[in-house]
Amino acid sequence: MKPSVSSLYQAVELQQEIPPLLIGERANSNGSKKFRELLLADDFEACLKIAQEQESKGAHIIDLCTAYAGRDELADLTRLVKMCVSSLKAPIMIDSTTPECIEACLRLYPGRCVINSINLEDGGHNIRRICQAAKRYGAAVVALTIDEQGMAMTAEDKLRIAKAIYAIAVDEFKLRPSDLLFDCLTFTVGSGDEKLRDAAIQTLEGIRLIKRELPGCLTVLGLSNISFGLAPKARRILNSVFLHQAVEAGLDAAIVDAAKILPLARISQEDREVCLDLLYDRDGEGEGKPLMRFIDYFSDRNVGEEDEAEAVKRTPEEQLFLQVVNGNKDEVGDVLPVLMERFAPLDIINQILVPAMRHVGELFGKGEILLPFVLQSAEVMKRAVSFLEPFMERIEDEHTTRILLATVQGDVHDIGKNLVDIILSNNGYTVYNIGIKVGAETIIEKARELKPDLIGLSGLLVKSAIVMQESMAQYREAGLDIPILLGGAALTPKFVAESCVPNYGGPVVYCSDAFAGLRAVREHEEGTLVSTVFDPAVVGEPLKPGRKERSISRTNPVPEPPFLGQRYVEELDPELLFPLVNTQALFRGRWGYRRAKMGAEEYRQLISEQVEPIYQGLIRRSLDEGLIRPKVSYGYFPCYAQEETVMVEVEGSLHPFAFPRQQEQPHLCIADYFKTREEGGDIAGFFIVTIGERMGQETARLYEADRYHDYLMLHGFSVEVTDALAEYWHGVMRSELGIAGADPTAGGSLVSQNYQGSRYGFGYPACPDMEVHKPLFSFLKPEKIGVSLTENMQMVPEQTTSAIVVHHPQAKYFAV
Amino acid sequence: MMKSSEVREQYICINCGYLYDPSQGDGMNSIPPGISFEELPRAWVCPLCYASRDDFDPLD
Repeated sequence: MKPSVSSLYQAVELQQEIPPLLIGERANSNGSKKFRELLLADDFEACLKIAQEQESKGAHIIDLCTAYAGRDELADLTRLVKMCVSSLKAPIMIDSTTPECIEACLRLYPGRCVINSINLEDGGHNIRRICQAAKRYGAAVVALTIDEQGMAMTAEDKLRIAKAIYAIAVDEFKLRPSDLLFDCLTFTVGSGDEKLRDAAIQTLEGIRLIKRELPGCLTVLGLSNISFGLAPKARRILNSVFLHQAVEAGLDAAIVDAAKILPLARISQEDREVCLDLLYDRDGEGEGKPLMRFIDYFSDRNVGEEDEAEAVKRTPEEQLFLQVVNGNKDEVGDVLPVLMERFAPLDIINQILVPAMRHVGELFGKGEILLPFVLQSAEVMKRAVSFLEPFMERIEDEHTTRILLATVQGDVHDIGKNLVDIILSNNGYTVYNIGIKVGAETIIEKARELKPDLIGLSGLLVKSAIVMQESMAQYREAGLDIPILLGGAALTPKFVAESCVPNYGGPVVYCSDAFAGLRAVREHEEGTLVSTVFDPAVVGEPLKPGRKERSISRTNPVPEPPFLGQRYVEELDPELLFPLVNTQALFRGRWGYRRAKMGAEEYRQLISEQVEPIYQGLIRRSLDEGLIRPKVSYGYFPCYAQEETVMVEVEGSLHPFAFPRQQEQPHLCIADYFKTREEGGDIAGFFIVTIGERMGQETARLYEADRYHDYLMLHGFSVEVTDALAEYWHGVMRSELGIAGADPTAGGSLVSQNYQGSRYGFGYPACPDMEVHKPLFSFLKPEKIGVSLTENMQMVPEQTTSAIVVHHPQAKYFAV
Repeated sequence: MMKSSEVREQYICINCGYLYDPSQGDGMNSIPPGISFEELPRAWVCPLCYASRDDFDPLD
């Protein structure tokens, strides 16, 4: 007699004339949001309806699962089974891992059902109890190839565990081989995870081995995992092709959404080939990896596919994936417990969360989502990992790539490095973030101690680029040869290729942003990472903008300053600054709300509905909480130019300010804008402005609390408010000098330098050298307004800026 | 027709807010009026902050 199961109404052969046997998966609290919500609402009639509907869609057997944290599984499942006894024609599959529940349902059910499932995870305890019950009540049993070491990944392991289960179920408890349905487990080939590239091959081979080595036994498969992480429409096609392959390999039954299985005949030959390439990891014809080809090939098929009905049918895996992609962290705590009933925490991370972040990175790379949304995704990732960590035996996977991160010597800027940390650590990498102002010696020491696979160095200022260049030889001499990734505003591919690469033995790679860093880490893993090359023939030498006039007027009048010497201004209304905030640079640059691929109208809407409210909220918050406390130390001083040096006279003593001169035409130097002693001398203005230390404390707090998005917002805001303060104070000084000209405060959003003279910040292109902070601090004495200097001449707090104010009408920005 | 609207499109530097207006060109980089953003040399940089072309966004 053929192995069959039955309800009160009918018997169903487990080996169908035309395989496979289809087992409906939707009446499952873990697999269907809709079903779960109905269950939580105690709407058992509607739950039953979901079970019934699958029959009409072609399911031969209906899986029933009511396990959910906080519910009484025994009461729920027995109630539903009782209803199915009289109202469901198809036989049922009792889906539970709790022996009590299984036993209670077996007692209730008048036909012959299937138990889903047994395994060897606990070393053989539950399996014995369930096999005993199966024997007593005459049930068939699904057996998963899992043992104490976890889920079997290779065909050999799948067979080995199947044999061990066979020994217990058949030899010990005398079940018939045909009572067993082995589930070889399937893992996604859609995540890009190298370890899973042959997942389909292993599963198919596992089915073949079990059918050959354990004659009479049946096989079953939960199908949809194979395509997890891919687009819905493409999944449906891949699932269907995979099912066909599995049946050819000997599969008897599949747990599926019966409505979503496509007959092979309805799938074009070309579609089939792309799916087969991915499943069998074949190169086939064409470029790139099979997964990339698959995604490209199906990329135009998933637009507008999802409707409401689809949304409620999402599995918990899909829900978590989408929560990461959409940056929705509110429901992570709901879906994780559901997933943890079926997956090990590390598998949730590696098979759902990491692929989701990878997808986010790809969307960012294509310009389809913006940085702030990426950070929200990273927050979801972080929250999920924090939730899972207590349940993980070993948090550090020895296989993960490790990256040492530091902001270089003398540089206090940590936003860039921290963004890299956020992106890398939330893509599953181990990051050692050793902070700011880290000297080369400490980096070498930490590299020896922590043995990272790569080093990432960051630094904002021109000086930091020089530090990186100079330290390369030190790293080489210390015997390091692991790749070094370099990032920072003052770096260019040309500088890295020409000034850093030659001084180090290993690869040195320019990274324009955190995602370039992520790409570099992945390339390292694939063995394809190489040093940055700069080919001027391709890109061309960057232009050096600037006025090309050779002669600078020597006869311009010297304005009359209101006083000579230094003064403090310690009371300044922060509200004066907001009209001067460069909101374009803030929104698009610091915050990353670029227009990118958006239409003009869509972008306007983004700005007015999301970005502008964030900005206004930060203004209100910083006023309410006193986060901005503007303070100024400034002054006017007699001076004269002597070649490249401006000699500044303070209370009878001379302070030399040496400025660099451009190497090429028109050879500008800041000192050129000042008259020489022979020409009668000149007047120089200086200022140091700060918005105080509260902002720095608050941004650090947000970063520590993993509030990445808020961190980026507040940090960018603080930097632009600081710049607005400099702009404001420059305006005050121009008007004190009587050179205010046209409205100096017009249009804070657009930079025009539409006024007489200029301010040159120390550490920026026209004056990269920070050594001049030494004389500046000696006479502006900013310690009184809370500003101090690091050993490398950087100002603390970070939200501080300094400048020399030049009144000469021809003075405009240039770079040396 | 496409061409003329492209020429008029202004681009903004996301780093400093400098606006490239094709009707003005960019004297600091010796770019005459009438050159659209797309026609600027690959090596063109922001005349104020030296950001590269990739750091420019269409204004609106």
